[in-house]
Amino acid sequence: MDVSAMIPELLSALPLTLAITFTAIVVGFCLALVASTLRIRRVPVISNLVDLYVSYARSVPVVLQLFVAFYGLPLLVALFGAADFFSPNVAAMVGLSLYHGGYLSEVMRPAYLAVDRGQHDAADSLGYTFRQKIFRIVGPQAIHIGLPGYGNSIIYLIHNVALVMYIGAADVMATAHLIMERDYNQYQFETYLVLAVIYALMCLIAWLIIRFFELRSPMQAPEATATTQIKHALISNA
Amino acid sequence: MLELKDVKLSYGNTQVLNGVNLSVKRGDVVSIIGPSGTGKTTLLKCINYLVKPASGTIVFDQIRMDYQRADKAAIQAIRLRTAMVFQQFNVFKNMTVLQNVMDPLVVVQRKSTDEAREIALRELERVGLSDKRDSYPSQLSGGQLQRTGIARALAVRPDVMLFDEPTSSLDPELVGEVLKVIKDVTSSGITSLLVTHEMQFARNISSRIVFMDRGVVAADGSPAEIFDAPSSPRLAQFLQSELAFQ
Ligand SMILES: Nc1ncnc2c1ncn2[C@@H]1O[C@H](COP(=O)(O)OP(=O)(O)OP(=O)(O)O)[C@@H](O)[C@H]1O
Ligand SMILES: [Mg+2]
Repeated sequence: MDVSAMIPELLSALPLTLAITFTAIVVGFCLALVASTLRIRRVPVISNLVDLYVSYARSVPVVLQLFVAFYGLPLLVALFGAADFFSPNVAAMVGLSLYHGGYLSEVMRPAYLAVDRGQHDAADSLGYTFRQKIFRIVGPQAIHIGLPGYGNSIIYLIHNVALVMYIGAADVMATAHLIMERDYNQYQFETYLVLAVIYALMCLIAWLIIRFFELRSPMQAPEATATTQIKHALISNA
Repeated sequence: MLELKDVKLSYGNTQVLNGVNLSVKRGDVVSIIGPSGTGKTTLLKCINYLVKPASGTIVFDQIRMDYQRADKAAIQAIRLRTAMVFQQFNVFKNMTVLQNVMDPLVVVQRKSTDEAREIALRELERVGLSDKRDSYPSQLSGGQLQRTGIARALAVRPDVMLFDEPTSSLDPELVGEVLKVIKDVTSSGITSLLVTHEMQFARNISSRIVFMDRGVVAADGSPAEIFDAPSSPRLAQFLQSELAFQ
């Protein structure tokens, strides 16, 4: 058997891997937005519960969080009398969304708080409503401050997706193990190498997208266009 | 047109304003002087409610608000009629000079982009920044930033301008260009409150001087009264130390 035959096999698991990643990115972002808002505004009791959630997401090993989601969610829905609909894939999505949301809220909240108090004062004194102030002044500046941290959180997420095989979701990592067992472990190194390239590519693409937004953010006039700057960044990175 | 009565404010346990009374007539140029940490900035911020006084009353023409019953509509009405220039400039960092001046006109006053642009360009011309209109704040000197702040404030056509130590975070060689603009503004007849440590400048442009000390207005009079015949030993001492410093 040819080594390269396993590549399409591995890639067949990519859609599920990406689906888990994207779900966690989208749901995690929404969770983080709500969590940061509640933690900044300090609503009694609710904010304390959110604090608890964030420290859970940030301090419990991700693989443990996945087990908690996998074994805990069926118990939770049973409590409400619903049938168990949690496949490993859904549990992986829920578990990673919760992890990513908690982690990301600790990127968003400091970014918001890092915006100079004077920017709030200026907008308030000019009669901006809270919404106008957030959307036009404070939000864009917080995004600029938070983007590098956001990029890191996405890369951690991609790495942690590799853990979903422990609860039986068939991502690229799990598929790689299936292939290796079936082929009597003769191509272990090659398989892991291909896997490494797949992960590196996913991270690179994520990084490029975020870098693009970083360079586009209007805190200073762009001296070079975003694309040429990305090119320079790539060269200096390589 | 503007009156503050018995305004009190504390940050935690430190009482900053201990019952300030101040009244400003239309067209007045009032300079507020006083030792550092005495509550001058805080007092200006009470006017547009950037800080929350514990008690007292503000009267602004027909608007009247008791700080213990702060009401959103009154706050907004006052904010729309005043404009503040900050010690730290507080120019919006995510916008160009021109956008800084236009944005409040478009967003708050709901003017058309064309009209806002026209007004903004006129104000930038007035403060001598026409050539910098497409620069971002990170590319400007302190003096240029402060002139942007002044243009932004003027563009909203406020009834009262509030200047909070507009030159005290500038390098000495940049103070002149900003003072020149302020002098131009105050001499145009717009009612102004100016917190400053520039004694000579205050004396030249003001119709009245207010001396704040330990959270109250300790003296209030014409420039000649305050500077030539200080009414209290503390005021005399303060003036002496300021002059010695300059
Ligand atoms: N946000 C805050 N929290 C706590 N204390 C504050 C805050 N802002 C100001 N203070 C304190 O309140 C007092 C008055 O401050 P304020 O800025 O009004 O003084 P100022 O007269 O403007 O002084 P300066 O001439 O140095 O600008 C100071 O003692 C200051 O330390
Ligand atoms: Mg001050």
